Amino acid sequence: MGEFSSGFPGYTAMVPRDCTPWPRVLAENGYSTAAFGKWHLTPDGQQGPAGPLDRWPTGWGFDYFYGFLGGDAGQWDPCLAENQKIIGTPEGFYDKENPYYLPDAMADKTIEWLHGVRAQDARKPFFVYFSTGCSHAPHHVAQEWADKYKGKFDQGWDRLREETFARQKEVGVIPQHAELTPRDGAFPAWDQVPDKLRAYYARQMEVYAGYSENADYNVGRVIDAIAELGELDNTLIIWIWGDNGASMEGTITGSFNEMTMQNGIPLTDEMQLQLAERYGGIGAWGGQIMDPHYSAAWAWAGNTPFQWGKQVGSHLGGTRNPMVIHWPARITAGGALRSHFTHAIDVGPTILDIAGIPAPSQVDGIEQEPFHGVSFADSLTDGGAPERHTQQYFETIGNRAMYKDGWWLAMKTPRIPWVLTPEALAPYAPATWDPVRDPAELYYLPDDFTQAKDLAAAHPDKVAELRELFWQEAEKYKVLPLIATLSTFFGIVPPRPDAAPIEYRGDVQNIMSGMIPRIYNHSYSISADLVVPAEGAEGVIVAEADHLGGFSLWLDDGTLTHTYSMMGVFIYRQQAEEKLPAGQVNVRMEFAADGATPATGGEVTLYIDDRPVGKGRMDHTVPIRFSAYAGMDIGRDNGGVVDLSYEARKPFPFTGTIKKVIFDIKPHQLADDEDELHAAAHHGHTAHALSE
Amino acid sequence: MKFDDETTDVLIGGYLSKDAAQDDYEAALASGGYLHGAVVVSKDLQGNVSLEQTDHMVREGAAGLGAVGFAVGLFAPPLLAATAVGAAMGAGAGKLLHHRTTGKLEEPAGATIPVGGAGLILAYPHSAAAKIEPSATRAVRKVVGETEGHHVHALKGALADAQKQMAEKGS
Repeated sequence: MGEFSSGFPGYTAMVPRDCTPWPRVLAENGYSTAAFGKWHLTPDGQQGPAGPLDRWPTGWGFDYFYGFLGGDAGQWDPCLAENQKIIGTPEGFYDKENPYYLPDAMADKTIEWLHGVRAQDARKPFFVYFSTGCSHAPHHVAQEWADKYKGKFDQGWDRLREETFARQKEVGVIPQHAELTPRDGAFPAWDQVPDKLRAYYARQMEVYAGYSENADYNVGRVIDAIAELGELDNTLIIWIWGDNGASMEGTITGSFNEMTMQNGIPLTDEMQLQLAERYGGIGAWGGQIMDPHYSAAWAWAGNTPFQWGKQVGSHLGGTRNPMVIHWPARITAGGALRSHFTHAIDVGPTILDIAGIPAPSQVDGIEQEPFHGVSFADSLTDGGAPERHTQQYFETIGNRAMYKDGWWLAMKTPRIPWVLTPEALAPYAPATWDPVRDPAELYYLPDDFTQAKDLAAAHPDKVAELRELFWQEAEKYKVLPLIATLSTFFGIVPPRPDAAPIEYRGDVQNIMSGMIPRIYNHSYSISADLVVPAEGAEGVIVAEADHLGGFSLWLDDGTLTHTYSMMGVFIYRQQAEEKLPAGQVNVRMEFAADGATPATGGEVTLYIDDRPVGKGRMDHTVPIRFSAYAGMDIGRDNGGVVDLSYEARKPFPFTGTIKKVIFDIKPHQLADDEDELHAAAHHGHTAHALSE
Repeated sequence: MKFDDETTDVLIGGYLSKDAAQDDYEAALASGGYLHGAVVVSKDLQGNVSLEQTDHMVREGAAGLGAVGFAVGLFAPPLLAATAVGAAMGAGAGKLLHHRTTGKLEEPAGATIPVGGAGLILAYPHSAAAKIEPSATRAVRKVVGETEGHHVHALKGALADAQKQMAEKGS
């Protein structure tokens, strides 16, 4: 993943040149190719015009790309890329009557692209990768979609799971002998949810359901367009639904802001409800003003009949997603079910197999590594085709599994996936964690579809065999060191940009959120050389992200102002006591951190031409990242704004001239401080004062 | 030995939304317990302060209660709290503040209530505590101070006690 591009070979997020992505193979064998929506395959540090661009979608072989490079995006206010350029938040975001909505735009763009291809060439084959941000957070959808599900989830997650399980059996997508796995103690029973909070929780799922249905609707629009072209019968459509299993990253409470969990801010459900109220109440959940994520317990219900969910690669709840394949010209037994063990890495080989294109042995003169996956093409037309994918390792943030010939060894760490406190992470520190000691569960999937019967005690030899096989596979496929995904939490992070001042000249826009100066947990200053016209100036000098996490240095009717949103939980504002003079002037904000601690508090001082003119304190700062998707702009605040007092004037462009903006991050003096900063407390109790 | 009706309690609640503070404010008013007064102050996302208080507060000189209470900063660290308490108390809460206008009360509140946050102060005789205190169910932070007596001096004492507890909770 782009955000975790660490120094270990399997974790750089940089596909090596001996593993040419198969979309390029299609493109170079006569296909028109295009990708729409989520990418998440470009390292954070490469998401700008300097690239390198070979890990952007066009570098993977897509002729055209319209979407977002990161792991998620606001559906109302995404920071988009088109081909090899960041194009930022669409203009339609500012249209109150008919606001932009990404899934709609994705379908529009896809259909437009298909029409363009066909306008030029009536027969050229095409390949489209259509990847909605849904069902990843933030759960954004228009109210009318969410309202379709009003009252549908008042029964709670326990009952929903039972209802879903019964329906799965009724329609025959799970075996009749399957058992519903019980609720783990990490999830509360719905009966334990206080009455006053039930509406809050139910609305989370209503929005999620509306969001999901809308994604389905827009996929349908694309399929309808293919049908209108008269090409549906001979178009292979592979539909996979899920987010590595439904995501539990909303924690038990659900969150008004998906990034509170990633920043380790512990909030109770009452706090989350109050924060939702602050931003318009549960009726606004799903709208532009919040970046919500539902409760982990709803995700668990969504993963019926399995255990757990996303981030738990040891179990089917975190690994198994439904797949539907449609190809009337060749698959004549519509509605048939296949249960062959397959993996996402089989999709590419299957498509090439069907297209009749062999995997290349060399690309650009570089010998290619064989595909790790295998084709399941014959199973599409032959239910009796042999199962070819017979063994597979899984690993996600330390949770791991080994599958072989129906047997599944699950090795889940005792850590609760959404708990990122120092205490929870400490057992997984380097030289502390011994993964061999993690508990193991053994399942035999042909007899036990849901992983309900742990056979580990009865089959110790099979447990030992699969444990050993996991280590072999992990070595072979660069999974090791197992610490790698957790490494960020222990100070092993990608190389830092040079600590020298970072200078922005001109009207630089849409700097991706993973590429902004790393001001987190440090002292720093932001300085700007301005020319203020005689009549005075107003507007944004520099702003990162929005009111749910970000900062803005701006002029409020000629008065220098700094606003800092600590994930929308704490909002700090400091203002100068005098207005800016006309002419050439330097303004500066300085943050003096209390110390080398995550989420450090500190003092802010505002300066005009080196003269202090205002000050204030920020008790908590953002330790990890302001936003998953919203970018930084010079001279305006694109997309959602940081300070809602200028929301009506967004993007609130600066009315004077900005000659340059300089970020100067002050390294802490002692190396020990730096180590400590990035140690277990990286995801610290950032809002410990709120967690009582 | 203290008698319940000769002891004054002050409850301070901190909230992340105006709605939550308002819920508890209204629940306190509806609780049936006798209130010396109640104040709810909030600051919206644009930074505008709004305030609501019962008539009792003005009559009992509790406008000062509101001003002093919110000067503590419901989310403030101890250092700020100590300074603010000293300054506010030194400014002469009580009868002097009895004459303050609502607009003036909003000033100290506006300086210390966080953007998007809200605070609630309830003052009541200890004899009403069993009815009043449980009504504040939504406070993110809640403390109760108490002092013997039922006049303005007692009110100030109870408030100071509550402020001290709030500051300690913030450390």
